[in-house]
Amino acid sequence: MNKFFTMLKTELRLSFRGMDMIIFALCMPVAVTVIWGAVYGNKPAFSGAEYSFLEQSFGALSTIAVCAGGVMGLPLLIADYRNKKILKRYKVTPTSPSFLLAVWVAIYVIYSLLSLLLVFGMLSLFFGCRFSGSLGNFLWAYLLVMLSMFSIGLMVGGIAPDLKTASVIASILYFPMLIFSGATLPYEVMPRTLQRAADFLPLTQGIKLLKAASLGFPLEAVWNSVAIMSAFLIICGGIAVRFFRWE
Amino acid sequence: MEETIKISGLSKSYAGRKVIENLCISVAAGEVYGLLGANGAGKSTTIECILGTRKADSGTVRILGLNPEKNRKQLFEQVGVQFQESNYPDKIKVRELCEETACLYRQPSDYGELLQKFGLADKKDALVSELSGGQKQKLFIVLALIPNPKVVFLDELTTGLDTKARRGVWKSLQELKEQGLTIFLSSHFMDEVEILCDRIGILKDGGFVFEGAVQEAVAISPYEKLEDAYLWFTKEEESGDE
Repeated sequence: MNKFFTMLKTELRLSFRGMDMIIFALCMPVAVTVIWGAVYGNKPAFSGAEYSFLEQSFGALSTIAVCAGGVMGLPLLIADYRNKKILKRYKVTPTSPSFLLAVWVAIYVIYSLLSLLLVFGMLSLFFGCRFSGSLGNFLWAYLLVMLSMFSIGLMVGGIAPDLKTASVIASILYFPMLIFSGATLPYEVMPRTLQRAADFLPLTQGIKLLKAASLGFPLEAVWNSVAIMSAFLIICGGIAVRFFRWE
Repeated sequence: MEETIKISGLSKSYAGRKVIENLCISVAAGEVYGLLGANGAGKSTTIECILGTRKADSGTVRILGLNPEKNRKQLFEQVGVQFQESNYPDKIKVRELCEETACLYRQPSDYGELLQKFGLADKKDALVSELSGGQKQKLFIVLALIPNPKVVFLDELTTGLDTKARRGVWKSLQELKEQGLTIFLSSHFMDEVEILCDRIGILKDGGFVFEGAVQEAVAISPYEKLEDAYLWFTKEEESGDE
């Protein structure tokens, strides 16, 4: 365990020094929260709704960091380490791919949790939002969304032949998901056809799940989202571990 | 004598071109073995095939009785490696790189002492990218020694080091040798090879043109010095080819 935290500490420091994740996983969710707050204030989600638009958006805002870390940060980190032949050096040590993958996942879990706290803090302090769902359910849902998004990133980082390809794939995954899954553009205001297309993005399903959990809706209503996210986790995670390459 | 490294029939080709062919090497415990040869003679490929970072086409490799592919984790607990190219993350500091390396082993050496020994003690908080070529080279030798290994592989040991630094590195390695460390190195410098190595293998076109004790190499050739002998071994074949 000590070995895990030693690695994590250094890798986290390196990531902070790199700044990209500070911007995309911490500053960006804060900025979007401020904008949505300015636009929607304390308006109800729809006329007669018992919760405000922002309360319903908490889940969506909390996934901006998950999306940045999972499909951008994580695959680029792995591809970069392979490209720089750092992984090759690890191959001649007693460490295992799953240990390294766990350390890297932990970095982005930390970013995600920090952004979750930031978004929650801002919504409750400045915009009068209240959390009416079950905290336990929400955290389980958040964990599932994180792990399944991260497993997509691990798969991309694991199988992309080089850094260039990894960054192209990461961009193709990141930008559409960031915009169309409801993380930065509210799903509820999208036209119906766009919503239907957005439903194909895994993060859209994740956000539906988080929305239900944060508003205290019964989770049975979103069981298909749970199933889709779990499927992503198992398939992509399995591929990532199975096809991991040191070089 | 106990065999620490045992390689037989090692071959590797890239795109149909044979880089190494049917190499057999055996290194006893506590021995220093030097792999010599011109650039492109297959030294790095040999080392990488031995370590399993490249897959050999055929041949068997045993280090400390273990198979580097099948018993990777167990083996590399006891083996240190310095590759020719130095690989490290952006913006990492010397201390951090040492810590990250040390934490992977059960009983690592004190990296502070190693840095001291190699004259890098005052560079602990420097970024690795800001070190000079020679300092980086020494740092990667330190990293190879952090596992407290029984065997080290050093690819192009002192390339990029100034005279004084090379002497320092030799001295440290000789001390480690006295403590029983087995060393497998590749080098372009014959003075270094004469001082450090017990036995050498001279590679040319993927095969050995000489393998044996340093004194033997000199004795077979018509010359007095290893450098002349080395050139004689590598040239003789060349004229034969034409």
